[in-house]
Amino acid sequence: MNRTLNVARMQLVNKQTFVWVPALVLVGALAVTLAVYAILRSSGITGDTPFYGGGAQAPLWYFAVVGAQALTLTFPFSQAMSVSRREFFAGTLLIALATSAALALAFVAGGLVEEATGGWGMNGYFFKLDWLWTAGPVVAGLFYLALAMLFFIVGFAGATVYKRFGPVALTAVILGVLVILVAALWLVGALDAWQTVFGTIADAGPIGLTLAIAALVVVLAGVSFPVLRRATP
Amino acid sequence: MIDEGRPLFLQIAEQVEDSVVGGSLVDGDRAPSTNELAAFYRINPATAAKGINVLVDRGILVKRRGIGMFVADGARARLRDERRAVFADRFIQPLLVEARALGLTPDELAQLVRDRAASDHTDDRPEGTER
Amino acid sequence: MTVIDVTGLTKRYRDTLALDRVDLTFAENTIYGLLGRNGAGKTTLMSIITGQNLATSGDVRVYGQDPYENPAVLRRMCFVRESQKYPDDATPRHALRMARLFFPRWDQDLADDLVAQFRLPMTKTIKKLSRGQLSMVGVIIGLASRAELTFFDEPYLGLDATARQIFYDRLLEDYAEHPRTVVLSSHLIDEVANLIERVVLLDRGSVLLDEETDAVRDRATTVVGEAAAVDAFVAGREVLHREGLGRVASVTVFGALTAADRSTLRTAGLETSPVSLQQLVVRLTQQSADAPASSEGVPR
Repeated sequence: MNRTLNVARMQLVNKQTFVWVPALVLVGALAVTLAVYAILRSSGITGDTPFYGGGAQAPLWYFAVVGAQALTLTFPFSQAMSVSRREFFAGTLLIALATSAALALAFVAGGLVEEATGGWGMNGYFFKLDWLWTAGPVVAGLFYLALAMLFFIVGFAGATVYKRFGPVALTAVILGVLVILVAALWLVGALDAWQTVFGTIADAGPIGLTLAIAALVVVLAGVSFPVLRRATP
Repeated sequence: MIDEGRPLFLQIAEQVEDSVVGGSLVDGDRAPSTNELAAFYRINPATAAKGINVLVDRGILVKRRGIGMFVADGARARLRDERRAVFADRFIQPLLVEARALGLTPDELAQLVRDRAASDHTDDRPEGTER
Repeated sequence: MTVIDVTGLTKRYRDTLALDRVDLTFAENTIYGLLGRNGAGKTTLMSIITGQNLATSGDVRVYGQDPYENPAVLRRMCFVRESQKYPDDATPRHALRMARLFFPRWDQDLADDLVAQFRLPMTKTIKKLSRGQLSMVGVIIGLASRAELTFFDEPYLGLDATARQIFYDRLLEDYAEHPRTVVLSSHLIDEVANLIERVVLLDRGSVLLDEETDAVRDRATTVVGEAAAVDAFVAGREVLHREGLGRVASVTVFGALTAADRSTLRTAGLETSPVSLQQLVVRLTQQSADAPASSEGVPR
């Protein structure tokens, strides 16, 4: 357990990757979004319709980069420190959890601020997406946590495949996934099942969705470990 | 100081023997330790240890339990005797070969030896003495 | 006592055979020199022993166990690579702090001492260090880790002669106080010849030599003199290398010279000169390159 914690500390040596850039992305997206809202409000659009922006996604997408860098920047050094791949994997997941939790906390805090200020006084929302908060701020926080972990593990898994099998293999995997996604979408369309799909999601609610994402995270983690096991620094 | 052709540990042993013969290591003195030799010559301690073992086997050094390695009594005298025995082979023979190549007779060679020995002694005398 | 046991170790990359059924053992408390040309398989061997690379076939046992993904064994080893990658934002201070966390026998005083002696800047990111300073980080980690099995893969790259001497001196000094198994791969053979107790010479994935350094030292001699006389003397002996300049020939032969040999040489007016370890290694690998691949190794 000790060595696992030390691997987490090792990851945090890259403060830029784990702390500064995500913070910057978050703050930057927030600033831009609020500026846009302010401009729109002052140009006369009434304050009745709430504004929702997609800017909150930005740090989440960056988490995929964080996940990839957690492997590429630190795995070779961990090998030099005579750390086993299992210890490295566990320690890295730990730090992923920690940083995702930090991000989730920021989102929840931001959402509470938005609730209190009525959308920054502009009825404009960045953090608090109503549907997500229907089960309360804690569930919303868990949702953000799961989503951040998902992006992290996707980045990590991709980098692991790259490290073990090379760029061609990674491209093949990405294409494969895209093909499957497109096929799934086509299938839904062919069966005219969009209503069913949206209905299921709506029924599941934020709790159900969080659990589904968490399950996906576990699956991806489970898949990336055997790949990592035979990767060389 | 250290040459390539012969086993290192033997050369180390010889260097220690040279010190004994030359008088810088006196009978009964504490001999340099393995680590000291290794550090001084910048060699592996195991090699230094082998060299010391050679000297112990030959009776030049003795191990005093709990204290360390010391130069054996009579080591200097014995080494001198040994070296005198091979002196002719090691030094005289090559001298003769070279002298022969240069066309020097044994008598001429002997005279050179005497002259050089005399002038060496002159250099040893106190200052103010002319050659 | 054997601490590393390598049996039939083979590593095949797509079209190269990096290691070819290598059999080797490494004992405790010994400094080994792992020599060979670039691409001979030295790095591959060390990285497989330390569980960082994976064998194609064959067996490696460290302290009787498979080192791969085996933390109990892994933490007793330290592998200092020739070009180690460090986390992007890492400074030497970070790297040494991390090493302290992971190597159970880490000696901080020794590390601090070495940092001072090498004059290593501690707060500059490793990315921005010179090649020599990068090597210094590796060397310090390797020495201060006091790992029972320490591997140095050409650790001296970029180090000037003074820094290299510091490394050799500190290695010997610390090794004398805290003996362990050290495997040192180097191209500067003559520089390390006096440090290493055993020589392991690899060539194209096979072991050419695995002997005590002293035994190797008088394995060959160079005979110099008038060409015909030299040729007469070396007839029937294994010739490693021949050079000629006018009527003078210089031939390196295998095999130690007996007293009778020396006397023959003296009579014939031939001179001998010793063959340094580096020269011997170079000649042996040249010879191996010229001859077809054979599994018999080197004649005694």
